[in-house]
Amino acid sequence: MKIIVAGKGGVGKTTISGTIARSLARSGHSVLALDADNNPMLGISLGVGPERTDELGTLRQALESGEVAHQPSTAGAIETFGTDAPDGVRLVVLSRIDRADPG
Amino acid sequence: MAPAMPLRIAVAGKGGAGKSMIAGTMARALARRGHSVLALGTDAMPGLTHSLGAPPSLEPALAEAVEPDGRRWRLKKGIGPVRAVQRYATTAPDGVRLLDCGTPTGRGADPVYASISAFAQVIRRLEDANAFRDWTLVGDLAAGPEPAAVNWAPYADTWLVVVEPTWKSVLTARRIARITRSRAGKSTLLVMNKASESGLRAAEQMLGERVFASIPADGAVIDADRAGVAPIDHSPSSPAVHAIERLVEALERASIDRMVKS
Repeated sequence: MKIIVAGKGGVGKTTISGTIARSLARSGHSVLALDADNNPMLGISLGVGPERTDELGTLRQALESGEVAHQPSTAGAIETFGTDAPDGVRLVVLSRIDRADPG
Repeated sequence: MAPAMPLRIAVAGKGGAGKSMIAGTMARALARRGHSVLALGTDAMPGLTHSLGAPPSLEPALAEAVEPDGRRWRLKKGIGPVRAVQRYATTAPDGVRLLDCGTPTGRGADPVYASISAFAQVIRRLEDANAFRDWTLVGDLAAGPEPAAVNWAPYADTWLVVVEPTWKSVLTARRIARITRSRAGKSTLLVMNKASESGLRAAEQMLGERVFASIPADGAVIDADRAGVAPIDHSPSSPAVHAIERLVEALERASIDRMVKS
């Protein structure tokens, strides 16, 4: 199944997404957790820990640095640029805004 | 009352931290202290309208201020900050004017894009608009670091970053503060919201710095939201509203200190 979680800031999108992902993994699903927020915090709710969550590499960085060009498939990109969270959930962060836009 | 020295404030933070509640209550409190206040609703969610107690607007406010220009929108001739506020701002209690970037309606995306584009062009001219030189500006930004990164408050000299005592909120606040502190000449102050006394100390440890002000967790704020009434009208003597009034006084003092030093 493919699930999208949306809602107003602070209502619990990330907490619910992370807990759904962990629960599904525990009941036998292979779970890919995609953090599509440009302020990505899903790692915290998945149990990756705050400091690691703050430093996770993003797919966008990988694309911009050219690393991901060598990955011919989505599966390869997930394998290379994802992070393991507890219960075997695979976490992929798309992008993070953490500096002033010079434009 | 003597005219108050104008402040230029942007309020940022993670979603749900309390940005709109604090920005709206601050704007009202500043108006009561003699400021001419222009509140800037820079978030497509209507939170600021509620916290100010301003009349709801049913259409994206500034859609009529622009005309198409190729694939972009251009302010119509004769419309600058003064005309935009005269025509498109609403008036909240205590005389606060609210210029809002516009909330999506059921009529498609175009009016909202037009309104947001007009808003962006107006706020970029605000800092140089003589007519607003003596006005206090309070901007309520959208959630997360993006509005800080692309500078949705070019008029602001002070960024208030609202943070609550959770890791998600703390990491977001640290990210926003790193961005705003990378620009010269801006002051960045952290404001803790919804913290108990012990929660405040713990959160300051997580942040790695002391906060400028703290607003306590207060059921009156939730009650006001449920009643659809501005907190400063619903519960004027509640701990949270009192703390925001003290925050406003502290910002006035900080602003005078900065002027004396420069």
